[in-house]
Amino acid sequence: MTRIRFSFARGEALKHISHLDMMRLIQRALRRSGLPLVYSEGYNPHLRFNLALPLPVNVTASEEYGEVILADPVTPDQFMAAFGEQLPAGLDLTGAWIEDDYSAPALPSTVGAALYRATLVAEEGCRVDPVQYRQTLDRLLAKEEILAPKTKKKKTKKVFVNVRSYIYEAYFNEPEKERPLELYMLLQAGSRGGVSPFFVIEQLEKELTVECNYKAHWELHRERLYRDQDQFLKPLSEGM
Amino acid sequence: MQALDTKLKRLLSQVQKPARYMGNEWNARQKDHAEAAVRMVLAFPDLYEVGMSNQGLKILYESVNSRPGMLMERAFAPGMDMEELMRAYDQPLFALESGKPLAEFDLIGFSLQYELSYTNVLNMLDLAGVPLYADQRGESDPLVVGGGPCAFNPEPLAPFFDFFVLGESEECLPELLSGLDRLKKEAPDRKELLVRLSEWEGIYVPSLYQPAYKEGKFSAIERTDSRAPAVIRKRLVRDLDRAPYPTAPIVPYLQAIHDRAVVELFRGCSRGCRFCQAGYIFRPVRRRSRDKLVETAKQQIAETGYEELSLASLSSADYPDLEELINELDRGLYGEQVKCNLPSLRLDSYSIKLANRLHRGKRSNLTFAPEAATERLRRVIRKNISEAEIFSALNDAVDAGWQGFKLYFMIGLPTETEEDVEAIVDLCRRLRQYFRHKSSRKIGISVSVSTFVPKAHTPFQWEPQLSLPEVTRRQEILQQGFKKMPGIDLSWHDAETSFLEAVFARGDRLLAPALEKAWSLGCRFDGWSEHFSMPGWRQAFRETGIEPEDYALRRFGYDDLLPWDHLHCGVDKAVLIREHQKAFNIDKPEQGEAQ
Ligand code: SF4
Repeated sequence: MTRIRFSFARGEALKHISHLDMMRLIQRALRRSGLPLVYSEGYNPHLRFNLALPLPVNVTASEEYGEVILADPVTPDQFMAAFGEQLPAGLDLTGAWIEDDYSAPALPSTVGAALYRATLVAEEGCRVDPVQYRQTLDRLLAKEEILAPKTKKKKTKKVFVNVRSYIYEAYFNEPEKERPLELYMLLQAGSRGGVSPFFVIEQLEKELTVECNYKAHWELHRERLYRDQDQFLKPLSEGM
Repeated sequence: MQALDTKLKRLLSQVQKPARYMGNEWNARQKDHAEAAVRMVLAFPDLYEVGMSNQGLKILYESVNSRPGMLMERAFAPGMDMEELMRAYDQPLFALESGKPLAEFDLIGFSLQYELSYTNVLNMLDLAGVPLYADQRGESDPLVVGGGPCAFNPEPLAPFFDFFVLGESEECLPELLSGLDRLKKEAPDRKELLVRLSEWEGIYVPSLYQPAYKEGKFSAIERTDSRAPAVIRKRLVRDLDRAPYPTAPIVPYLQAIHDRAVVELFRGCSRGCRFCQAGYIFRPVRRRSRDKLVETAKQQIAETGYEELSLASLSSADYPDLEELINELDRGLYGEQVKCNLPSLRLDSYSIKLANRLHRGKRSNLTFAPEAATERLRRVIRKNISEAEIFSALNDAVDAGWQGFKLYFMIGLPTETEEDVEAIVDLCRRLRQYFRHKSSRKIGISVSVSTFVPKAHTPFQWEPQLSLPEVTRRQEILQQGFKKMPGIDLSWHDAETSFLEAVFARGDRLLAPALEKAWSLGCRFDGWSEHFSMPGWRQAFRETGIEPEDYALRRFGYDDLLPWDHLHCGVDKAVLIREHQKAFNIDKPEQGEAQ
């Protein structure tokens, strides 16, 4: 059996689909590809396939990861060709390689954090005041507690968790002429819990006193995934 | 979609399930508008995930787009949240493939699957910026055409449509589109174009027919141009093996209600249940050959990557030698990990055997539609199964390890009495007891009860619907009865929704203003319980002077001219009359099956 990992980018054309849509899309693409797929045993066989971290609706991304188990040896090039051909516009396969270490943990459990870039796109006639945004962000980050509702299955009572510590870093780009305001957020993610970039933006906007902010909207992009290794964040791409 | 402009992109980031409006799916066709002589958009008046489950839509998409020189794109009813934004931002309704506004197409074709989508039809026209009424549309406006089951009585929609296509259009639509291109050059104006179109088989141009009313009731219809036929006969595909059928259907990103590969075993149904419109308007039965089905299934799986294949038709177990077909599919799809399913099971041992054959894994629930709980009433509606057969079939199912069943019943059927309603409770009680004694496992039984809606072109077209208060009372009998039966899960259709469906199913053109009114009062998605508003409809009827009860509760006589009598469904009225009479004389022996 061959364990193949691949990286991909998601562009504008596909950013509106959900994680489950994405899973179905990739599995069906794999099924069309003619690659020697491996299914789990039993009456309800499913593909041995994983994505590193769910990508939220309305977010583009440059460096996402997936892995799939194949029955026969396949070279990365063969994989790239067969699989890449089956992917729709908006999903670009950027790399594939064989994971030799068969005991390597499954992809999802390796993710520890993600870096997002949110671009503020202002409509005509709406002037965004960067200073105000920066000050608001400072106020937000100065808080010791930022409560986020946690959805627990089968429980109607709302539970809140403090997600302040999940926001590792958040900063705006250096002001530049003709360049929109960009908010970078390094957020905890993965199996140890995390916080959604949309939630952070929502909190920021709540604090904001800009009047016409409804005429501006944020476009989100996930730049990179990180693993948490010995208390240090390393890009997932390293060591793959 | 190719040309998502920034405005649209902005809207999509704010709505629920933006993938509904995205297009660009696998196998979606991007054809060049400049190279197509005729451009059509197929408009489905319900949400994307409903429309993309409709096999007819996929068949038509294939039939037009596989031809050079013409193209078909898709549009669906936007969700309420999207509609609000579209109106706020002046975004006209657009087609998914090119993002072009609907008004830029030559034809807007509505798929008319159920009466409760009519307000969505008007809403989509309005969002497209196309005048609602056909006589207000000018030379440069698209032609608005309707097809599908509701086109067999489209009278309530008549003033909004330029024409309808009666019957199956996968073969005639490409013909029609190329003909239209020619006609457009020949005919001096839109009016003349429509007259010429009306001469084609299966085309109904409602503006060429003038209805008359006596005491507020439809009484006659007259042609305003002698070139239009007196009776319009439906279009019919003769050889399904040669008819267009998708081999590479679109694979939605969003999970559609039915998200799987589909092969259609046959069209039509020979069972002849008297309430069933599909059973009448899709006659006669025509089959696809086994070879064709296996070939199509293989192509579809290879082109889509679907993990499930549906063997669809109105009554799939009736396909001759179905077991051999399943064997061949097993061989043909070996190693692809495809699950086959049979959507319409009969309540007999053969069907159970087939279900067992297809579901090797966990056997959860099987669904059946006995429709009525007494043998007498089942004979009235011609759903001829005996109680012994029901028990023995379900017994086989439980023996095979199925964990439960869902049973569909109808209330308000002609001749139904209170005893027939109580019999539903009683039958379920006895089933429950039976399986309690028999099986150590818990057998789940769920019961779903709908209300009978008399439909045009069926033997029950003359029959009234049961009145609303009486439907409610009978629903209460069920509720009370099942209350004492824990473990049985009862659900029922909203009585008022079925009432509205009945008003339009046998309606005439006088209903058009009420429909427009209801739409303007905000009625949308009437088939969705979370959106349906009876107060809105009541107000619409009041303001337009319509007594909806007059429509739903009306009993027609054989001598009455029916609003759809000039539309021929392929079955003569005499046959319907005979079947109607037989329903009330069930003691006489039955002769033969329906053709
Ligand atoms: S079996 Fe009866 S209800 Fe079902 S499609 Fe055929 S005629 Fe209609």
